[in-house]
Amino acid sequence: MDFSFTEEQDMLRISARDFLAKECPKAKVREMDKDEKGYDPQMWRSMAELGWMGLVFPEEYGGMAAGFMDLVILMEEMGRNILPGPFFSTIALCALPLIEFGSSEQKARFLPQIARGEAIWTFALAELSGRYRASEVKLRVALEGTNHVLRGCKLFVSDAHVADHILVVGRTGEGERPEDGITLFIADSRTPNVKVEAIPTIGGDSQFKVSFDGVAVAEDSILGKTGRGWDIVNFILQRAAVLKCAEMSGACQAVLDMTSSYAKERIQFDRPIGSFQAIQHKLADMLIDVEAVQYLLHQAAWGISVGSPSPWQISAAKAKANEAYQRICIEAVAAHGAIAYTMDHDIGLYYRRVKEAQFAAGDTELHKEVMAVGLGL
Amino acid sequence: MMDFRLGEKELALREGIRKFAEAELPPNFVRSTLVDGEFRDFEFEVSMSRKLAQRGWLVMGWPEKYGGCGASLFEQTVYEMEIAYWGIPGAWMGISGIQWVGPCLMMFGTEEQRQKYLPLIASGEEDGIWCTGYSEPNAGSDFANIRTRAVKEGDDYIINGQKVWTSAAHRARWCWLAVRTDPNVAKKHHGISIFIVDMRSPGVTVNPILNYYGRHHFNEVFFDNVRVPASNLVGEENKGWYYLMQSLAFERRSIAPTAHGSLRWILGELAKYAGQTEYEGQPLSQNPVIRAKLADLAIDLEVLKMFAFQLSWRISQGQIPVYESSRNKVMGDELMKRGAVTGAEILGVYSQVDPDSEWAEISGAIQGAYLGFPGQSIAAGTAEIERNIIAQFRLGLPKSY
Repeated sequence: MDFSFTEEQDMLRISARDFLAKECPKAKVREMDKDEKGYDPQMWRSMAELGWMGLVFPEEYGGMAAGFMDLVILMEEMGRNILPGPFFSTIALCALPLIEFGSSEQKARFLPQIARGEAIWTFALAELSGRYRASEVKLRVALEGTNHVLRGCKLFVSDAHVADHILVVGRTGEGERPEDGITLFIADSRTPNVKVEAIPTIGGDSQFKVSFDGVAVAEDSILGKTGRGWDIVNFILQRAAVLKCAEMSGACQAVLDMTSSYAKERIQFDRPIGSFQAIQHKLADMLIDVEAVQYLLHQAAWGISVGSPSPWQISAAKAKANEAYQRICIEAVAAHGAIAYTMDHDIGLYYRRVKEAQFAAGDTELHKEVMAVGLGL
Repeated sequence: MMDFRLGEKELALREGIRKFAEAELPPNFVRSTLVDGEFRDFEFEVSMSRKLAQRGWLVMGWPEKYGGCGASLFEQTVYEMEIAYWGIPGAWMGISGIQWVGPCLMMFGTEEQRQKYLPLIASGEEDGIWCTGYSEPNAGSDFANIRTRAVKEGDDYIINGQKVWTSAAHRARWCWLAVRTDPNVAKKHHGISIFIVDMRSPGVTVNPILNYYGRHHFNEVFFDNVRVPASNLVGEENKGWYYLMQSLAFERRSIAPTAHGSLRWILGELAKYAGQTEYEGQPLSQNPVIRAKLADLAIDLEVLKMFAFQLSWRISQGQIPVYESSRNKVMGDELMKRGAVTGAEILGVYSQVDPDSEWAEISGAIQGAYLGFPGQSIAAGTAEIERNIIAQFRLGLPKSY
């Protein structure tokens, strides 16, 4: 058993941390909160030049052919610093399934664009219930001539306003199980009849309602096999859960660091508040949460990186992160007092992002249910 | 490079212990959810210690010359997890000897002390059972406040004082005793020494203290002019605090693996029970609240497992863990508590039944967990002391006491 990272991985972490500290200070994060696009295109290009977009892409598609763990490290740093923008949507939700399930034409057409930072993608799964169950996939698909025509509406689609392509989960048939008859389509978001409307949320991230009012998609824009799309959805949710968890893990560490520094500096009753056990024990519990998320994340990510993803480990990590990230942020505000409750303080940036992270790639209930099934219940 | 697989040795060991448990534990065996020290069935437990010793498992991490087989810390961790999972009694022989006296003697003892005491512990015989004299009436969490005195007299030391909460003292042949050798020190952490005391020495009196469920686990031990040869001093005189901290680190290390093993068994039994018990026309396991509660336990059990192996890994890298044992202890204690509480929510009224009653469910393990966890979470440092350690030594916050 070995808990260590390679030297290359340590270097990747350091260079990512340095880049983000320099290019994405908290002032930039705040600016992007209000920005129409929600990301900085120039920074996006720099990230592409660093090879971040295509980090895990095969070399023939303009990638660096790095491993899944490297992507996890990168996203931990993005979460620690808070990087606004469509990286998670494009890479975790769309590029990974394209690499795995895309036809050679699809890969050759789309992956190099993404690697160069020239295309933004997103994934449209949830509908009215806002939950990721196969039975909730109702978006209708009709065969008209040689085209598949999508009619329906998707909710909480991240970064849809800047996305060039949307990976849409539609229902093409009914089977014995709700998982049967689901198909994934690559829709061009610039075609008419795709309507994107913002859903204002607390996180400063960008989430949207996307309506498909008779959107025609050609046969060659189906990802994977018709009717077998739920396997791909599962693939996406598993990897995305781990990568979101990576972001959350980085964020948890940042919040702990800020709180523990503050506890050393803030003087009340003539001494640092960090000398009081009430504060110390809060911080000790936060540290235990931080490390719990970190090691469950690394265990789950390692499983994926060696080609044997474990639903049990993945769900343990995401369920833990969902609860821990929220708890850490709540306790951090409590330890800081009123100062953390202000617009100018950085804790609030993390606090407000908890919600998006909790629901992305499976809420706590979904992941605990995976655990319950794993227990034989 | 990261790799979370267990090696072939660990997997074979796990299988070996399963076979051992199936062969050696009687069919009606009532497991103790506590790390032992109670010796409910002393003859049986010592017979098991002997068998574990014969297989080379009892002190597997020790070098061969002292009766071990040089097993890695990962093997030891897996061993502790599996022993606790199967509830195999006798594996700790009152805990002290195997867990910290032996390892501390290897670090700080004289070769003569090692030659004499280590093989005794490794044998699994009664003469290898130790107790540990740390707490006193006025030295609990404030451990350095101990007053039991050792005064040098010729080639001997004369010991006077009282210890309390001394687990297994009524069965122990030897005591690992913390005493004050210099009362005139600026800091009370200085002037402390450790002695090996023969429990059969004149002047040693052991009185039982029954715990709140009537079991004899603890004792108070009085030392009345007990004469101990100077050769029984461990390490240097007045440097005892350093050895004590090391001994507590050894003690805390094994808490996560053992709590993990016990809870993994409890969780499996609770899941089985929920599947087999009908309520309002469907198995309890279909109740979403119960599913979520068991899932919660399963998630934190994964955390505890990773914490246990991460600590083993740190030590195996030659690093000295600073706060990890405290982290693991907080997590292990918290989970033992949750196992007891969640278990009672699932078993309902049956959770209070004595283990040997026909009405007991899952061998009374939830009753045992409920009775046992508060005591276990105090031993080796309270939850508050462990959190102080994390805050001070990991997060760099000022000392708070």
